[in-house]
Amino acid sequence: MIRSVVALFVFALLLCGYIVLRPGTPPRALTGDDMAVTRGLGDSILGPVPDVIASLDTTVVTPAPLRAPAPSLNVLTDNARMAETTANVLAGLGLNVAPTPDTTTADPMRDLTASVLSGIGQITGKQVTAGGETPAPNTSLEMLVVQALQQGQSDAYIDTIVNEAAKAGTITVPQGLVTANGNVDTAVLLYSLIEKARAAAGEPPLPPSGANEGVEFLSDDTEFRRVYTVGSGDSLGAIAIKFYGSVDKSDVIYQANRDVLSSPNAIQIGQRLAIPELAG
Amino acid sequence: MMRVLVAMIGILTALQAQPSYAQTVNITADMASSTFTVGARTFEISRTQDPDATLQGEFAKTNRPCPDFCIQPMIIASGVAPIGELEVIAFLQTEVAAGTGILIDARLPDWYEKGAIPAAVNVPFAALGAENPYLADILHALGAIEVNGEMTFDAAQDLVVYDNGAWDEQATRAITSLITAGYPASMIKNYRGGLQDWLHFGLSTVLP
Repeated sequence: MIRSVVALFVFALLLCGYIVLRPGTPPRALTGDDMAVTRGLGDSILGPVPDVIASLDTTVVTPAPLRAPAPSLNVLTDNARMAETTANVLAGLGLNVAPTPDTTTADPMRDLTASVLSGIGQITGKQVTAGGETPAPNTSLEMLVVQALQQGQSDAYIDTIVNEAAKAGTITVPQGLVTANGNVDTAVLLYSLIEKARAAAGEPPLPPSGANEGVEFLSDDTEFRRVYTVGSGDSLGAIAIKFYGSVDKSDVIYQANRDVLSSPNAIQIGQRLAIPELAG
Repeated sequence: MMRVLVAMIGILTALQAQPSYAQTVNITADMASSTFTVGARTFEISRTQDPDATLQGEFAKTNRPCPDFCIQPMIIASGVAPIGELEVIAFLQTEVAAGTGILIDARLPDWYEKGAIPAAVNVPFAALGAENPYLADILHALGAIEVNGEMTFDAAQDLVVYDNGAWDEQATRAITSLITAGYPASMIKNYRGGLQDWLHFGLSTVLP
């Protein structure tokens, strides 16, 4: 008898305790560490949260897929520089060219832009294929040119296949290689190949081609300026060869004309570009 | 008798196991969570189900030094509407899901990588400055079209821009740069409360 009274008493005690403590004290005591961010982070590292756990108290988080490679949003261009493209083609041809010392080695803006474009591409869905698969890699411009050169094709042939591929959007083209007519300036690419190959072989650099058509010399009291009017078929790379003898200098012209050029590939027929003297 | 006690404790334990798992912290009275699909990805926004949660760490601070962390205006530029959490969620559900809008996280990548609003795209304010030679590429990706050397934004995306909060000028700078680049103010909205307010409501974040 005594035992059952004691048992009932203990039960009543537990029941009271339960009723008193229950509201506001969920079984899983939560500490300050349970802040939304902290949990959010943990969840996506661990992957999808099972429904049971999610329904307890967790903010459900859909884990993001891995970042896709920077997409080529513009059909014609990407942010690669001529020097890289050239080096890749020469490497593809088996010519061992020492990497060009790039004056603009670190280009944080380029990297930043590439990751921005990748992010926008993922959201707008233009680059991400269904199911989150990474898009098939483009045939590279370098591969096309290497193959054509190995086959001994003519410059005109290379020009045609490169432009067809660029228009179909299957390759991307580096900065400064798009002409005012919107074509790919294959001649400049081929020139750049010769230039680098000569440099690698220890031969002197090619002289500037230096045609004077479209060039004006302006002077005022303080300075002497060269201005070049963009003609049909000009690319920034071609203009750089014309004045400096090197494709790599196209960035000098671009930087001097930032007020009229929104990108190195945005040159227009009739645009008047300042051609600065090279320092030193 | 022992068995009675054990049974009673058992009943108690069973009672204890059931309660308090139903959602009680909704977004609004009739919306517990928001689910939307962008491309191939599905996102869900809900709130932490802990009535006692408080802000922790970086976002619990109230008095960062100004400068550099100064209180930002409600209206950054004429025509740029300030919005709150419900408008951000509605924007994600309708415009972003339909592909006509982009939620822009204007913070630098190191902030973004610590957690962002679901489906936000990181477009750091620095990438939108006129000093970025590749700015035109970003504007094109946002839907701007170049006609005769002029950027036109008729087909461009509607944007909602946010940063860490009202004490953070990264969104202000991003919006100012966008307008300088020609983006119409009427197509930009500012979630001024930013991540601080978002977290203050215990709303979901994702790791990019």
